[in-house]
Amino acid sequence: MRISYNWLKDYINLNLAPEKLEDVLTMSGLTTESILHKSGNDCILEIEVTANRPDWLSYIGVARELSAITGNKLKVPVVPKIKPSKEKAGIKISIEEKNLCPRYTARIIKNVKIADSPDMLKKKLDAMNLRPVNNVVDITNFCLFETGEPMHAFDLDKIQGGEIIVRKARKGEKIITIDGVERTLADSMLVIADKVKAIAIAGVMGGINTEVTAATKNILLEAASFDQISVRRTARSLGISTDSSYRFERKVDINNIEHSSDRAATLIKDLARGEICNFIDIGRGAPSTKAITLRLAKLEATLGLEIPSVAVKRILNSLGLTIKRSSKKAITAQPPPFRYDLNNEIDIIEEIARIYGYNKIPNTIPNIVEQAKKIPLEVVIEKQTRTILTGLGADEIITYSLLGKNALSGLGIADNTVAEIKNPLSNEQEIMRPNLVPGMLSSMLWNINRKSKDLKLFEIGRIYLKGSEAKFSEKKHLAIGITGEKANWAEGARQCNFFDLKGMAETLLASLGITNTAFKYAANDIYSRSCSASVDIEGENIGTMGEVSRKISNNFDIKETVYFCELSLDAILKYADLEKRFSELPKYPSVHRDMSLLVPKDVLNSDLAAAVKNTAGAILKEIKLIDRYAGKQIPDGKLSLTYRLEYADPSKTLEEKDVTLVHSNILRTLEEKFGARLR
Amino acid sequence: MREELKKIETEALAEINSAGDKTSLEALRIKYLGRKGIVTDLFKKMALLSAAEKPEAGVLINAIKNTITASLDGKLGAASQAEEAKDRIDVTLPGVAGAPGKIHPITQTVNEICSVFVSLGFKIVEGPEIETEHYNFEALNIPLEHPSRDAFDTFYLKSTEKYLLRSHTSPVQARFMEKNKPPFSIIVPGRVYRPDATDASHSFMFHQIEGLVVGDSIKFSDLKGVLEIFAKQLFGKSTRMRFRPSFFPFTEPSAEVDISCILCGGQGSGTKGHSRCSLCGGKGWIEILGSGMVNPKVFKNVGYDPEKVTGFAFGMGVERIAILKYGISDIRLFFENDVRFLRQF
Repeated sequence: MRISYNWLKDYINLNLAPEKLEDVLTMSGLTTESILHKSGNDCILEIEVTANRPDWLSYIGVARELSAITGNKLKVPVVPKIKPSKEKAGIKISIEEKNLCPRYTARIIKNVKIADSPDMLKKKLDAMNLRPVNNVVDITNFCLFETGEPMHAFDLDKIQGGEIIVRKARKGEKIITIDGVERTLADSMLVIADKVKAIAIAGVMGGINTEVTAATKNILLEAASFDQISVRRTARSLGISTDSSYRFERKVDINNIEHSSDRAATLIKDLARGEICNFIDIGRGAPSTKAITLRLAKLEATLGLEIPSVAVKRILNSLGLTIKRSSKKAITAQPPPFRYDLNNEIDIIEEIARIYGYNKIPNTIPNIVEQAKKIPLEVVIEKQTRTILTGLGADEIITYSLLGKNALSGLGIADNTVAEIKNPLSNEQEIMRPNLVPGMLSSMLWNINRKSKDLKLFEIGRIYLKGSEAKFSEKKHLAIGITGEKANWAEGARQCNFFDLKGMAETLLASLGITNTAFKYAANDIYSRSCSASVDIEGENIGTMGEVSRKISNNFDIKETVYFCELSLDAILKYADLEKRFSELPKYPSVHRDMSLLVPKDVLNSDLAAAVKNTAGAILKEIKLIDRYAGKQIPDGKLSLTYRLEYADPSKTLEEKDVTLVHSNILRTLEEKFGARLR
Repeated sequence: MREELKKIETEALAEINSAGDKTSLEALRIKYLGRKGIVTDLFKKMALLSAAEKPEAGVLINAIKNTITASLDGKLGAASQAEEAKDRIDVTLPGVAGAPGKIHPITQTVNEICSVFVSLGFKIVEGPEIETEHYNFEALNIPLEHPSRDAFDTFYLKSTEKYLLRSHTSPVQARFMEKNKPPFSIIVPGRVYRPDATDASHSFMFHQIEGLVVGDSIKFSDLKGVLEIFAKQLFGKSTRMRFRPSFFPFTEPSAEVDISCILCGGQGSGTKGHSRCSLCGGKGWIEILGSGMVNPKVFKNVGYDPEKVTGFAFGMGVERIAILKYGISDIRLFFENDVRFLRQF
């Protein structure tokens, strides 16, 4: 809300410069966002009023707070007692919706002279960024800012049938509001109507049909109380927010209605020479506020500071609370009627802390009980994953969880498993990501377009799935993507490939204590049919890996070959083993033997290695592929593979004959099973 | 004999000294120390000497042998170094180890913040991003259709029931309290969502870190003490703080926390002729988080007795902290994942 420094001075003696005022307000909860210096020695403070303090949404409200903080006297304008004329109003008020309009007052003012407002008034409206209209309208606006009570003036002679009816709108009922927009109303909205038509949207905006114009002679001044939720719903669904609706949503002081109406009527009498006629007041005021008991021990226990009872009472008094009872242990006080937010002891504690000053409360260290497991395994695994992958040269990315629907095209995701957003702001937020593919490919494209073509990226993030019966689930995944060249001046350049990616995944899994990972060919729509694998641990599928299919790369405008892998971190968590155990170092040397084989092309490395291990038994410590070759000197349909085998026996030094026997057994098995030949 | 020996030594050293390369040095080694070499010969001749002369001669000949050997070794070493030097490599060529990748600056910031609290005894806890209205709002004392919801515009999911994307990490407070008994202290990092139009300072997705401490005697002064440790560890020892009264439905009393501006040090003045600091706008303070004592209504909602337990909670935006810490100009940079950006951290 804007507060003019000069205008504020009408209600309190201010001996604070604007900058000091800014500080005082900010430190008491009225955060001042900015100060704008204006001509004529005025300045505008833009203050942020929190949702719990509608009583601050007026000059008097802010002055009242300042008075509590500074002790300076509040100067509320005195409104002389109005003697209503004896003339009958000739108008009837009926409230059909008492819950939505607990109180409605109408004041008849006759023979007004509509004219421009005096400069003094225009200047005040200008400070609020409001365009002056005419004296009557300007006065209602002025009073809204002064008292916080939104009021509306109708042209009495345009009200048909001699009746004001507060009712719900008829479905599809139309009204042109004073901003010139025709609005179609829903039957849940509250309107002010005459016998024939709606003349205002209650608490939101008046209608053009009863607007006060230069031709207006007699007016009906409305000051009323409307239900917070009703006004909020109506304003929101019509897409408007006015100074009036803003205040009603937050709650307007129902007991302030009469004073505000009197104030406006007096000004209209003074500035527009109107004759104040009768005042109709239907409904009720609010019951008096409930007294609240504050235990001084609770105050101290909450704040960690003992505030003397005298100081507590002084603060309560300054905020307008009436002390009802007071003992050594407790003080009972009744909040003023405008403080709807004070209902419980904790509300009172906050008020005392706020006015006493948060900065007077000491800093202490709580007795925090150490948690048994401060860092859950999940967090440890993620941390380790980041350490390993960055060590392998990959950069971590964070991509949006929300995507456009088209990002899933071709990924083979069933529509009914995708979580959709009901109210996206743009077509890039229509769904929640069911996997990490689109985020990875979009990030790659962004970089490729900026000439960063050699990329190793990874993301740790959740994916979101919709199950049957509208249940949603979230799972943590890891994605790794690589593209471009591996190049250095010493070894030259080559395109990165599937095995670079597989190596990263294997290194990662091994570092998490997972050594029995199996990679198997498995067709998947994400990948090219020539390079597509499933990743399994102990028979459970934990993810996929492969070369991203041309069709999908094309969808993302990527011409480069991309290798991608997505693994379930939840599954990895299940198999990870970070326990470290020592095993005795071998006492006897191991023996290395190489074995060069010619095998048919379609024989899988994993099958060969498994057969070797099976045949060799415990004596074989390790088998490693050290060369793979097809081409010159190798017959068509064959491959040359060289394995390095490491043999060791923990109980003795291996003898030549032991190794030779096993080695030739292995060879025989491979010949029989796979048609392998020694080269 | 002594003179004869001296003469052999002098001649040998002179020859070694004037030899230019490895080959001539090898030839000299044969000439003097070889099987038929001059010095070897001297040892043979020693046999002819009397028993009285032998020891002295032995010492002298050995000394000559050592001197010549040392001279030859020294010269040979220098010669082979000179030869190696002809093949010297360009040590200024770049190393071939690949550069390590970088952890995303948001993750780094989350880790840094969490580690401060973990060192204070907090436990890291996570919660779902797809939430119900109950946990996101009602359990936290944010009533339906109340203006206090204005700060929490929310994405909803298409569903028969009302599911939404959490607009803050606070729902985890309620979820954790329902399942655990105090005392405890937790720190909750995570993604949150608000349908804000994206620009340099707004993003519809961002990260928050939430803290919650509940026990039988947790006080507002404890909140101040803990957050002071945090601010000083993250922003430096000279950081000052202030607590401003504010309003959050789930805490009371509530406070927004400012730190002295990290650019101007709280002076408010700008550099290079600018009258106001570009970061704090001249105020000298920058807001970093919201906090407060847990509202008794929140305790009641999760089945705690507010007469028996008290607690404090705080929450901060990770992107905001990272932007302040690293001086980043645009929040969108975090999600574009440009490697030229990522590799700066």
